[in-house]
Amino acid sequence: MLAAAAGCASPAPTRTRARVAVVGGGYGGATAAKYLRILDPSIDVVLVEPRAAFVACPGSNLVIGGFRTLADITTPYDGLERSHGVRLVHDRATAIDAARREVRLARGAAIPFDRAIVAPGVDPMWDEIPALRDPAVRAQVPVAWEAGPQTLELRRRLEAMRDGGTLVIAIPESPFRCAPAPYERACQAAAYFKRAKPRSKIVIADANGEIASEAGLFHRAWSELYAGMIDYRPNSRAVDVDVATGTVELELEDVKGDVLNVLPPVKAASIANPFITANGRWCEVDWLTYESVAARGVHILGDALQHAPVMAKSGHMANAQAKVCAAAVVALLRGEVPNPSPTLTNACYTWFSDQLAAHVATVHKYDTAERTMKVVPGAGGVSPMMNEADARYAAEWARNIAWDSFA
Amino acid sequence: MLAPSSAETSSIEPRAVRSIVGWLVLAGAPCAFAQSPSAPRFAPPNLTPAGVRALAANCAQCHGTDGRPAPGSVLPALAGRDARDLAQALLDFRAGRARATVMDQLAKGYSDAEIAALADYFAARGR
Repeated sequence: MLAAAAGCASPAPTRTRARVAVVGGGYGGATAAKYLRILDPSIDVVLVEPRAAFVACPGSNLVIGGFRTLADITTPYDGLERSHGVRLVHDRATAIDAARREVRLARGAAIPFDRAIVAPGVDPMWDEIPALRDPAVRAQVPVAWEAGPQTLELRRRLEAMRDGGTLVIAIPESPFRCAPAPYERACQAAAYFKRAKPRSKIVIADANGEIASEAGLFHRAWSELYAGMIDYRPNSRAVDVDVATGTVELELEDVKGDVLNVLPPVKAASIANPFITANGRWCEVDWLTYESVAARGVHILGDALQHAPVMAKSGHMANAQAKVCAAAVVALLRGEVPNPSPTLTNACYTWFSDQLAAHVATVHKYDTAERTMKVVPGAGGVSPMMNEADARYAAEWARNIAWDSFA
Repeated sequence: MLAPSSAETSSIEPRAVRSIVGWLVLAGAPCAFAQSPSAPRFAPPNLTPAGVRALAANCAQCHGTDGRPAPGSVLPALAGRDARDLAQALLDFRAGRARATVMDQLAKGYSDAEIAALADYFAARGR
């Protein structure tokens, strides 16, 4: 059309630039936007993200423990624009219309796309803890499952708590974002209590029958580093909370605390509702392209996915998925066949104190018979024990994954 | 962590393994990964330039985009390194000849051909 308008001067009809809209600027969305531009700078890439900067969940428990500041775990988005030509739109997506191929926004004009990549993260299922449906209650019971102001609010409440007080952490049934995180949080709070208010206690009410990740390492940390401080109660699902009396209501008993951290179950964030196909909570995709099984042209990444076996809901995994997805989207836009043999890796680091950490690592490849990602037998593993070397690598991992995702 | 009994691991159905969670709790690790209930049938490796680039992208979370780490990081750069050195390092990690926290575990996920291709890829990147 441009060629026609310009008369006979153009030698061939000019094809409009392909447009990709990326919704959500976490590890998944930001990485997808960056790698799309690296792989094909001719693609017009828009990243829709309401926040001005990214605040990492990894490391946020160290903020709660008092060993990091929020600034330490915050990365600006401007590197994506400056270094890679990603167009940043700081607005909230209100709908992803797969039929009209546009992302609608709270304030700005709708963004048209040839393909969309949705990295929505997770939303809490407030109905599972009814009192938390009230934002006024939530202000007093900070969930802090998304790093930011709530992380600081939980920290502030631990600082204000008396020595001899009790922190109650209630953990939902897995899967949820970052399986080791609630147990790591208990470690970080314990590290703070041990130093500043050693008569304090932590009650962990876990809906699961056992610690949901690295169980042996956590039990050992609790007995060796924080002896007598942590009361772990498996098969103890929280059903509600009463702020007035400081009570977490479990299925079989009540637990009182001075600071309550009740984590509700999570699901794919609501912007992805049209693409939720599993258990009313998660989005299923083609593991070669991350295209939704529910909508052509819409690709989904990260914690919102119905995961493959042994696949973590982690920032590292979302980053790895994003690169496979970006390459597949570039191929599809060119009419080429996507990589039939994708590989994913994952490394999750857990901090047991401010000095000791451990990791879980996996390598995943594509199983052609079952059309899913599976771990490579013999590869991957867990640290044999918490140690200082893993803590150094955990800090370096955090720095470099932020660099790979946002700069 | 305690080593699992063979009875424990063999009783695990794939569907029961809802996440790394259940897997690691029930089976222990890392030997759990060697005893997958159904042997996977992996797609043959893609060693085309695009395939190797995609493979190499899995190194970037720790070693930086295209093997160039973040400023100030003490993790080793991969870009511009000698291909033989890189390949040998990965082979040593994989064989357990070189001590590591995580690279010995991750290197076991790659074949000889993939390791050679990765080494060539990073050697060809500018520092």
